[in-house]
Amino acid sequence: MRTILLTLLVACFSCSGYSQSGVCGNFHKKYCVLEKTAEKWSYNAQSKSGLFAQGMTNKLRCVIYKGMDYRISVCCETVLGDKVNYKIFDGRTQELLFDNSAAENTQVFEFQSVSTRQLVIEVAVPQGATEKDKHKATDAACVGLLIENKVTDRQGFSKY
Amino acid sequence: MKNLHYLIGLTLAGSMTFTSCGGGDEKVDGPEDGMDTTTKVENNVNTPVSETFFQVPSPGEMLTFIKMVGDPKKKDISFLNPPDNQKNYNDSKSKALNFGIYSCDLSYCSIFEIGSEALKYFKAVKIMGDQIGVSTAIKPEILKRLESNLGKPDSLAVITDDVYFSSFEALEDSKQGPTLALVVAGGWLESLFIATQLAKWEPNSPVIERLADQKYTLENLIEFLKKHETDANVAAIKTDFEGLLAEYNKLTEQTTASDAKKGKDSKSTVIGGGTQLVMSKEIYTSIVAKVRSLRNSYTLTK
Repeated sequence: MRTILLTLLVACFSCSGYSQSGVCGNFHKKYCVLEKTAEKWSYNAQSKSGLFAQGMTNKLRCVIYKGMDYRISVCCETVLGDKVNYKIFDGRTQELLFDNSAAENTQVFEFQSVSTRQLVIEVAVPQGATEKDKHKATDAACVGLLIENKVTDRQGFSKY
Repeated sequence: MKNLHYLIGLTLAGSMTFTSCGGGDEKVDGPEDGMDTTTKVENNVNTPVSETFFQVPSPGEMLTFIKMVGDPKKKDISFLNPPDNQKNYNDSKSKALNFGIYSCDLSYCSIFEIGSEALKYFKAVKIMGDQIGVSTAIKPEILKRLESNLGKPDSLAVITDDVYFSSFEALEDSKQGPTLALVVAGGWLESLFIATQLAKWEPNSPVIERLADQKYTLENLIEFLKKHETDANVAAIKTDFEGLLAEYNKLTEQTTASDAKKGKDSKSTVIGGGTQLVMSKEIYTSIVAKVRSLRNSYTLTK
């Protein structure tokens, strides 16, 4: 009986068109936003959230423009702590541009680029990241990737 | 009970992926390219799964830039797709494409402070949205918010952005991938079309540079369309966009300095390197013509 119940439960989750967005869809909008500062950052539509299993890696290829400042914030559910790793690569050359594990696992990275380019942001949840918690599924947690941008402050006189 | 948690976890893992709030979709890397990743995770939770999502900036981002470097007081709407044309779109392909196009036109009216037209475009977006199944995302009260914020361009832009993002999420939630792909394609193409209508040829101008840089977005968009190319409508648009990419591939590339360094305030890093795309007048003219041709074929206008 117990087995049947468990099977039915799994089947319900699997077959009900279980919405990915329903799980973590706007996670980055709710939980990755930093406290308001004097700087006016705008939400960038290339932001994304997802449900990650331990050992899982996803990549996101986005476009960033020169003349803009960007702020990337990666945040996750508390069970993952600060164990989410992310790396930023040049989309064409695959050159590693940033690795948060080499920067004290920082969740926030601010940068600008001298040229417009495609970036690949690789987000990884290492094995053993989630802790056992009897109240939730321990193999998965939401991870959000918030991208914000603002116009780079001009230095000197400018035509524009 | 322990088993129950394990099974829930397993099932959640089965539906796992980066969920989009931008314009992307997934592609499995490696030899299993195109496989259904859901099955893959369910079969072996411990296997790392790597997917790549291809993101597309919103039309509003391009329009905001054009306003910033151009004439912010320009209030020309002659090149937009007239709202009345919505009655001409009877098939699912043209409805989805023109929902994206009208959403972009709505953003343009908001960003360029053409409030009275914004209301007309909102109504067109609402009608088209109801027809493609995103009525829940475009609630009637948004019209009231628009009306009460007509004199506030920043607020209007936020409201119209909300409409775009909510529609996007509604399509994603209801798993209408092909429709979403067409909407994103229509919105991006319209932003490019508007930019070409507002731009004047001038070598090294920020607008022309930004138009050249759309090559990168176009590449992402084509990858996004590939995910849904089993749908005949999406496949047709992908072919159209590959034709446009062929024009973009004629751009020359200049390598830029490759040093990365910390910014003055040490908080921001400056990433060096990359390439600058250089647009000649000849290529610009051919891209403008191609964009116009595609856009007008989608709006059924001349």
